[in-house]
Amino acid sequence: MAPWAAHDRPFLDPAVVARLGTLELKARTIVEGFLSGLHRSPFKGFSVEFAEYRQYIPGDDLSTIDWKVYARSDRYYIKKFEEETNLDCHLLLDVSGSMGYGAHHGMTKFEYGAVLAASLAYLMNRQRDAVGLTAFDENIVSMLPASARPGHLTALLVALDRLQTARATNVSKPLHQLANTLTKRGIVVLISDLLDDPDEVIRGLKHFQFRGIDVIVFHVLDHDEIEFPFERATRFEDLETNEEIMAVPGAVRDHYLREIGALIERYRRDLGGHGIDYQLLDTNRPLELALLSYLSTRSRAL
Amino acid sequence: MSFLAPIFLAGAAAAAIPIVLHLLKREPEQRVRFAAVKLLKKAPVEHTQRRHLRELILLALRVAALVLLALAFARPFFASGAASASTGVTVVALDTSYSMSAPGRFERARQLAKDAIARAPAGDLVGVVTFDDEAQIVMKPGTDRVLAASAIDEAAARFGATRYRAALSAASQQFAGRRGTIVVVTDLQENGWDAGDRVSVPEGAAIEVVDVGALPPNLAVTDVRPLSDRIVASVHNGGARARDARLRLTIDGRPSGDARVSLGANQSGEATFAGAPRGGVAAVAVDDPDGIAADNVRYALIGGGSRPAVLVVTGSGDPARDAFYVQHALAAGAPGTAAFQVVNVSGAQLSSWTDDRIQPHAAAFLLSTRGLERRGREVLSGYVRGGGGLLVAAGPEVDGDIVADVLGAGSTLRVAAPAAKPAPRTLAPADVRHPVFRAFAGSGATLGLVKFQNASKIAGSGCQTLARFTTGDTAFLECSAGDGRALVLASDLDNKWSDFPLHATFVPFLHEIVRYLASARAHAWDYLVADAPAGVKKMPGVATIADAAPRGAPRRIVVNVDPRESDAGRLSVEDFRSAVTRLKDEPGAEGRIEARQQEDRQHLWQYAMAMMVVLLAAEGLLAARTA
Repeated sequence: MAPWAAHDRPFLDPAVVARLGTLELKARTIVEGFLSGLHRSPFKGFSVEFAEYRQYIPGDDLSTIDWKVYARSDRYYIKKFEEETNLDCHLLLDVSGSMGYGAHHGMTKFEYGAVLAASLAYLMNRQRDAVGLTAFDENIVSMLPASARPGHLTALLVALDRLQTARATNVSKPLHQLANTLTKRGIVVLISDLLDDPDEVIRGLKHFQFRGIDVIVFHVLDHDEIEFPFERATRFEDLETNEEIMAVPGAVRDHYLREIGALIERYRRDLGGHGIDYQLLDTNRPLELALLSYLSTRSRAL
Repeated sequence: MSFLAPIFLAGAAAAAIPIVLHLLKREPEQRVRFAAVKLLKKAPVEHTQRRHLRELILLALRVAALVLLALAFARPFFASGAASASTGVTVVALDTSYSMSAPGRFERARQLAKDAIARAPAGDLVGVVTFDDEAQIVMKPGTDRVLAASAIDEAAARFGATRYRAALSAASQQFAGRRGTIVVVTDLQENGWDAGDRVSVPEGAAIEVVDVGALPPNLAVTDVRPLSDRIVASVHNGGARARDARLRLTIDGRPSGDARVSLGANQSGEATFAGAPRGGVAAVAVDDPDGIAADNVRYALIGGGSRPAVLVVTGSGDPARDAFYVQHALAAGAPGTAAFQVVNVSGAQLSSWTDDRIQPHAAAFLLSTRGLERRGREVLSGYVRGGGGLLVAAGPEVDGDIVADVLGAGSTLRVAAPAAKPAPRTLAPADVRHPVFRAFAGSGATLGLVKFQNASKIAGSGCQTLARFTTGDTAFLECSAGDGRALVLASDLDNKWSDFPLHATFVPFLHEIVRYLASARAHAWDYLVADAPAGVKKMPGVATIADAAPRGAPRRIVVNVDPRESDAGRLSVEDFRSAVTRLKDEPGAEGRIEARQQEDRQHLWQYAMAMMVVLLAAEGLLAARTA
């Protein structure tokens, strides 16, 4: 997966996003930019209810101008619509030690995942979907139940801001724990590097499906983990176990790429086979792609 | 462990080089905290601990190799307390010359030597050296006195002549810086010291002389000269009483005649056996059962060396004009026979000679360089460098440059014209034991009667001065040139600068010169025991040797004992000691010498080097695997 050239990129570079201030600002920047770019998208006019009038400003879609109001007041107003939703979205963010990799690229996998979670939460909140957050490593670290209240987004962003990577991963265990607590249908968004036993992970995700919950998996990997670009003999230290391995990258690259390729392919194949959306995210690539994937799944879920 | 050159241990600091390189110069290892290490674990990677171990082993191998290199250069050895330099040493030098072979004499010498061993201070190392012409170390200094006594028991009198210098030199080498005593068990023969001979011994070495006693009454055959019609034998009575000597001649083992000679005390005489055959080996024996056995018989090759030809190079080629005295002196001999055949040639004529033509001559006399052109010089030079003997009489007709040219490149001989003002002088041998003065043994002063009015200046580094003028100038030199030898007399032989030809010593002097010069030739047939060719037993008798010449056939030679050993003249112990000087030992020299010897014996540095090579090989293999 070649990194995108800046001039070809319609979305925000994650490195740029990383330099933005608060998580809320990052999320808003991404989502607003993303949504403004969706004018010609297939998501135009999805299920909404009238919410309010707003004075026209240049650039607004002309089709949204209420001509009756214009006739009465001789002013241009456009109709604002409120989405009609009853979805509960649960964001599952992996905060295990392995997610801490990638700081030298601008954003670690955890930071990328956190921004992604914030963006999704912002988007969901904007669409009046109830959104919750569950952070986990080998256990559930923090949990914020899904809610669509106006102040909930702030609470969620604050919770995201406080998260730190820590311990070892056990993806399946928190998945099962969470699946058992969810009663209402909705969407579960898993943001993780999935460096765990694939069988266990898939089994945990299928648990959600079993309970009628749609699942989107964002498989967040650093570009280094996908391409293995190391050249010099390197001592690799495991972020979670601190185990060290001395390796000459030239000698082990092929093997590693085969292994990581097989892992990705395994998730792509098995999750796809069970109707679970799987999206591999390179932390070099824009977050908006993830949002697109989410909206696609959401539309199916409604 | 001690070290011969501990300064090289400083080189062990070089062992820090790989450590420093390892710590400072190496490229910092890249460390990456990585998430997907579990995927790498299945790859054929090298685990950290194993690599660490391998790196440490490599480092240790490199450090050890450098340390071993420094160790090898420091020449390590294990100091042995038993052979410490503080231990004294007693070296017994036992005279095995043939003068010790008289009945009961050597047994007495053995006993005296064993007594000396027994007397040696307790704790001293004892060593045994036997000597005649050469010294032999039969037992290096050790603690086993029984072994030393056994070595003395196994010693036997040989056929060489006494040489104290060889004995003391060999004994001194055994001291190795220690203190002790050299016990010389000998009959104190006067001829054991060469004229002007001195020998140096370590300062810590005391000299003890054990006298075996004077020679018993002894008869010795000192010379056998086969002539054309007879054989003349010289016999010497070394006793204090007059004796009748009965001589028997055998030719090729067949009795061929008897003769009786009456000899006064310490007197020589000659016996003549008529009718010598054309060839064969003559052996003349004297009945002397109570004297020294080795000198009772002497051998000569009949016809083997008769009438050797002597080439005389003069300016004109006319002997009557330029070499009158020399020709007659060389031709002189017993009535009816000439000692040498004289071949006269002018310098100019020599240019037309070939190497083959000059080679048969026993010796060459260069009396004049006039007319000696390049080709002639080359012929003469080839003759000398090929093993020939040349006498140069540096008289008024001899040019020094031409002589130097004849002796060839590398010659240091310089012959210069005499001083403008002639000064009368006489000649004195510097070494009366030199063979050319053999005829004057005991009467060397007769040469001092010769008056030299003028003389060239001769000098040459590396040349041996055989005689000097009373003015201090060199009179007679011996120089080597290639395989041959040259004698240079600083005057003429034609009664111009000296009256030498008018003296009785002239004829025997020239004869001895020719014999000496001829002895360097491969065709010499009369050898002394000390000079016997390689492969010939060092004992009197007849032997056959292969000639070194390309077309040379096996030829017979005779080997005789040195007649000087039969001389009954004796030294006093004080005279003996007066020829010995002591060298002051350097401070600590004894310890260093001992240490060097121990190191030489142990050769630990070789093991260190071998181990270093093995370590480097292992390092290479391991490094290749690591890379």
